[in-house]
Amino acid sequence: MTVTPPPTRHRSTRRAFLRTSAGAVGLGLVAARAPAVLGQAKEFKGVTLNGACFQHAYTNVLKEFLKEFEEKTGMRVNFETPAFPVYNQRADLELSTRGSAWDFLNITFIYSGRWIGAGWMSSLEEFLGDRNATPADWDAGDFVSGAQASLTDAKGTRYGFAWEAGAMIMAASRYDLIEKAGMKMPETFDQLGQVCAAIDGKDGVKAFVNDNLHHWHWPPYLLGWGGKVFVNPPENLTPALDSREAVESAEYYANLLRQYSPSGALSYTMDQGALAHRTGRANLRTQAIAWLAPLATAADSTVKRTVRFAYMPRGQAGAFPGSVSHGFGIPAGAKNKRAAWEFIKWALSKEMVRRAALEKGYIAVCRKSVIDDPQYRKNMTLNGQDLAALYLRVLEESGRLGYMRYRMVPVYPQVGDKMNKAIERIVTNQQPAREAMAQAQREAVLDLKKAGIKIDA
Amino acid sequence: MDALAPRPVALGEPEVPGVAVRPVGRRDRTYARCLLPALVLLAVVTVAPTVYLIVTSLTPLDLTRPATALDFTQPLGNYALLLHDHRFWNSVWVQAKLSAGTVAFQLVGGLALGLLLGVRSRFVAACRTLFLIPMVLPPIVVAIMWKVLYTPDISPVHTALLALGLPIPALITHPDLALPAIIVADVWEWLPFTALMVLAALKMMPEEPLEAARIDGAAGWQILRHIVLPYLRPALLVAGLFRLIDSVKAFPLIYILTDGGPGTVTEVTNYYAFRQAFNFSYLGFSSAITLALVAAVFLLSWWFVRVVGTRGDVE
Repeated sequence: MTVTPPPTRHRSTRRAFLRTSAGAVGLGLVAARAPAVLGQAKEFKGVTLNGACFQHAYTNVLKEFLKEFEEKTGMRVNFETPAFPVYNQRADLELSTRGSAWDFLNITFIYSGRWIGAGWMSSLEEFLGDRNATPADWDAGDFVSGAQASLTDAKGTRYGFAWEAGAMIMAASRYDLIEKAGMKMPETFDQLGQVCAAIDGKDGVKAFVNDNLHHWHWPPYLLGWGGKVFVNPPENLTPALDSREAVESAEYYANLLRQYSPSGALSYTMDQGALAHRTGRANLRTQAIAWLAPLATAADSTVKRTVRFAYMPRGQAGAFPGSVSHGFGIPAGAKNKRAAWEFIKWALSKEMVRRAALEKGYIAVCRKSVIDDPQYRKNMTLNGQDLAALYLRVLEESGRLGYMRYRMVPVYPQVGDKMNKAIERIVTNQQPAREAMAQAQREAVLDLKKAGIKIDA
Repeated sequence: MDALAPRPVALGEPEVPGVAVRPVGRRDRTYARCLLPALVLLAVVTVAPTVYLIVTSLTPLDLTRPATALDFTQPLGNYALLLHDHRFWNSVWVQAKLSAGTVAFQLVGGLALGLLLGVRSRFVAACRTLFLIPMVLPPIVVAIMWKVLYTPDISPVHTALLALGLPIPALITHPDLALPAIIVADVWEWLPFTALMVLAALKMMPEEPLEAARIDGAAGWQILRHIVLPYLRPALLVAGLFRLIDSVKAFPLIYILTDGGPGTVTEVTNYYAFRQAFNFSYLGFSSAITLALVAAVFLLSWWFVRVVGTRGDVE
């Protein structure tokens, strides 16, 4: 009697084995992905996320879509957006005390070196390296490298992701007046002075306007003149505010404000400057593209048909339009870091950036995939001018030449304050430019010594 | 008579027969126990921060360098820096001008307004509440209101003057007019406070001296000069002292209207301290400025009470 194993059982075992194996592999795959998918729904339900940024077109867009995020994750988001200076002061204080009031916040460009350098921000590498926390299709490499520079430390550790890349250009709200004077958009500082002299007061329009953030507006003129803010940032932070170039460019810029700007412009906030421009009370302005594009797009703009854009004018040393980037990051003292990362991922996802750009007309986007989108390029063609080309040119040039390093050092707020005060003293004739800049230099040196910075003798 | 003289009461013996009195030492201890919570609270909310301020002023504390919190190698370093800080001394001078201007105008104007509101009339009584409005408005609202009035683009005052062919420059960006513009706004806000104190003192004033003066044929200005003003002096002194201390704390108007500018013509000392602490994180240096300010206010108040207060036998 031979006992043979029942064939059916053999077949059945093989099938069962295959079924079990396939099931195990399937379950394994599901298990690998599950925490990211299922975890989100459970992990964040009921979490209240607190965050802040200064008020901006992009934060307005985010607020519009915030409900979608809250419904998707079960979180509640308190998103504060005070004015720029108020936000910066509050954030600086909050971070310096390792506070936990905010789970995410904006890393303001001029504070980026200070906040990241002092260890007040959380590294995002942990989240970026965890595929459950950050799926590959979020594509961190899609962000414009120039915009990410201020949010990354020297070792390459990422502390934030950019939502705005600001690129300074020039805009004339009433180009018709310039044409009427037989001139064109100024390409040099000399031409800018000549155009201002020719069109000032014509049709009741002042020739030039800017706001009171002189440490943003004036340095491009200083660099164009051949001067520097610091001797060699970030290695040598000795200020160079009393150089011949600094004195001459400060006098030149102050004169634009003194002679050709509306009465009271010296106290203008960014909003006030933009309003004066948009309502056609002032003609030329050098400012970030996000503030100038609304001349052609804002509903209340009275200059849509007469607006014209151009690259920043150049001096003898060249053209150095300012470029900045602001990004979302997570404070070191934040309580809900994982939830905060969910918010940042959502706020800066390809989909959200694309919606902001294409549906809401947001311009200063930082994702290459959106900038290359034909629809975006079409939307950025304003009044027949390709604004996207100007935008990219500024970002590329500032990245290539690296001249914005002066603005990323930890002590820039202190030195920027001295520039602001000096320009105000020159504009109001309290001091000649030479004295004002010498005083700015002395005060900057004193402040940098307080910060423990080594200064050249 | 001796029988009627009060008999000395021994310690612990009831003063009134049948009523027990606690020994003095025990009573003091009870009082001390009752006071203790209040004293602890006072120490926590007042003394501790002051001590911390003093200690911090002896360090170069910079929030971007936490180790500096315990660096006492140059305890007087911040004070030495202050002595050579041109901007600090400028802020002291601006503060002096602001305090002198606001206190003087508020005392004189408040006195006049208080005397006016003291007149017995239904109309004046109805107006009293209106005059108090500036004082009860949140300071930030007052600052925004004056910002509107001082900004040429949107100011009804500028627009009206322009229409009349009398254009004026933007006050808050003019180096000679920015500080007076702040003084005007501050006086507008706090004038009712002085007026209210004067009015309250007037209501307490006895009628007899006034009547006697009238019967003696004194003129109105003589009554004001020799009776009313001496009577109001303590109230004016208190009002002046309050306003002097408050003027040193001027902040919202400067923050909203000028940000200390143009240049530093409206940068008072506490605004400079604020900037050092909250814009640049130099907490040690800012603490030294604050302590210098506290000392100045203390000395000024002492002088005000001793010199101004005792003149004219006011007690």
